[in-house]
Amino acid sequence: MNGAQYIVNALHQQGVTQVFGYPGGAIMPVYDALYDGGIPHLLCRHEQGAAMAAIGYARSTRQVGVCIATSGPGATNLITGLADAMLDSVPVVAITGQVGRDFIGTDAFQEIDVLGMSLSCTKHSFMVTNPEELGAVIAEAFQIARSGRPGPVLIDVPKDVQMALVEAKPVMHLVDETAPLCDLALVEARRLLAAASKPVLYVGGGVVLADAVDELRSFAATTGMPAVTTLKGIGTLDPASPWFLGMLGMHGTKAANLAVQESDLLLVVGARFDDRVTGKLAAFAPHAKVIHLDVDAAELGKRRAVHVSLQADFKQVLPALAMPLQVTAWQDHCLTMREQFAWRYDHPGDTIYAPLLLKQLSDALPENTVVTSDVGQHQMWVAQHMQFQSPRNHISSSGLGTMGFGLPAAVGAKVARPQDEVVLVSGDGSFMMNVQELGTLRRAQLPVKMVLLDNQRLGMVRQWQELFFDGRFSETILTDNPDFVCMASAFGIPGETISRKEEVAPALARLLASPTAYLLHVSISADDNVWPLVPPGVANEHMLEAKP
Amino acid sequence: MKQHQVTIFAQPRPELLERVLRVVRHRGFQLSAINMAPQSDCQELRITVTVASERPIQLLLSQLTKLIDVLQVDTQALDVASQEAFQIRA
Repeated sequence: MNGAQYIVNALHQQGVTQVFGYPGGAIMPVYDALYDGGIPHLLCRHEQGAAMAAIGYARSTRQVGVCIATSGPGATNLITGLADAMLDSVPVVAITGQVGRDFIGTDAFQEIDVLGMSLSCTKHSFMVTNPEELGAVIAEAFQIARSGRPGPVLIDVPKDVQMALVEAKPVMHLVDETAPLCDLALVEARRLLAAASKPVLYVGGGVVLADAVDELRSFAATTGMPAVTTLKGIGTLDPASPWFLGMLGMHGTKAANLAVQESDLLLVVGARFDDRVTGKLAAFAPHAKVIHLDVDAAELGKRRAVHVSLQADFKQVLPALAMPLQVTAWQDHCLTMREQFAWRYDHPGDTIYAPLLLKQLSDALPENTVVTSDVGQHQMWVAQHMQFQSPRNHISSSGLGTMGFGLPAAVGAKVARPQDEVVLVSGDGSFMMNVQELGTLRRAQLPVKMVLLDNQRLGMVRQWQELFFDGRFSETILTDNPDFVCMASAFGIPGETISRKEEVAPALARLLASPTAYLLHVSISADDNVWPLVPPGVANEHMLEAKP
Repeated sequence: MKQHQVTIFAQPRPELLERVLRVVRHRGFQLSAINMAPQSDCQELRITVTVASERPIQLLLSQLTKLIDVLQVDTQALDVASQEAFQIRA
């Protein structure tokens, strides 16, 4: 077989059952091999869409997402997707074609040094210069992508390597190693937990990557610790638990932020003190000792000094730390805050209030619905006002904050979980950034339900301009948006526009009842902002709850 | 700014030096000297860099250790006052 056939065979043997991509000159041998079947391939309409579909596929399941592109512009178009996967620790393997080995370094047609470009946006990357290395490289790439702290891996394959004869050898499967727990640190962590009177559990996406949601929930139930999550941690804890206070950080709940600021112990599980979480770092949880658990040692002590750190598998360490805590007064205080500062949905006038619409949507969704979002105000409203029973049901570009993420991520999620409803919540700015993926929905006949919150603005930037730039709305007014329903119809996707509160419930019912993809275009006010908001440079307790 | 000498042992790859230098720059360390040489058996490369930063050296070491091809990272403070030494095996 040739190298391209070997690649397809090796992907198959790695358990890959779906790939996303876009063909081109330097990757044609691989597409020729795919033509014979073996692995279903979904043609996206832009390589960035293929990368983000692979991310949606990976994040909605526990599988490695795979995307394929050609050299040059195909490869550069993947880069934003790889960066997104890097910042959110998503296991993705990207395969790019490269010009033939003799042409590398000659500025050949569609030649770019993608290996060089990959250094800052992948966990690791390879260029295969010897056809005999293909098997080892592919096995290592998958192992790196999914092990430890997962991440994207790029394999750049010159065209002549794809065409070279390769001996068909059995594909290797590399096994992860698990480090043993440190007993001393465990003892000290248990001592700190037992001594705390105001402990808070601060949970991030690492719990999802470690597949330790059950262990976390069991730990939370045993200890009764008031708990908060990051954006990526949403869904790890049961939203109905009385001790769950919601998301913390810049747009976190008041109860979550105040509890963290008052706490005397933070148990940090798979989170990294991101700047959007901490606000002013020096004033974040100022009274708290910190126990930090993470699989990535580089995160321990990176932004906040810790009292105990454990580089550990959460499935082992959480049961080892679990014990009932005597913190009734603190629990009562947090519960009071949770009730006192619960979301309110009273909103004057007839125009649609997006947070209320999202709450209605959340209440109406079937069990196990996957919701993907884009980036901006609507993303924060989804995080605040929709409830998730599983973190794999909430897929949002968190670290990189990539506008245009939502639609291709929904494509990937729907391909991965055809039996589950998949809903995209987007904004008018983000939607336009990868709108070509409507063509992918049509091609694969994917019944993704789309809710487009349209304020004819780049809303989050507009909000900051209103609050922090004297209302100078520089390049954020989109009153020249296209007719979105008309555009969807050009792809054979039905839709409708609503603009009044009374229209919401029946429109949501039509959206969810549609057997095909459907666009619910929702016209909302340009003046609605995301609250609370912790302004830049201040401590999280100084959140704004309305325009000052 | 504190100066440290960091010694990196790694598998020889064409892009290894780029990876190391990118991490040094991106994580906020200034490079003032560098040497790269194969170990006697040619199975490993040894890269020695002298770096300075206001940031704790541990932040750099932990990121270098994460590079897949890096096998071991050693460091030594060059300031007279503090002669602490670290060794991390990847």
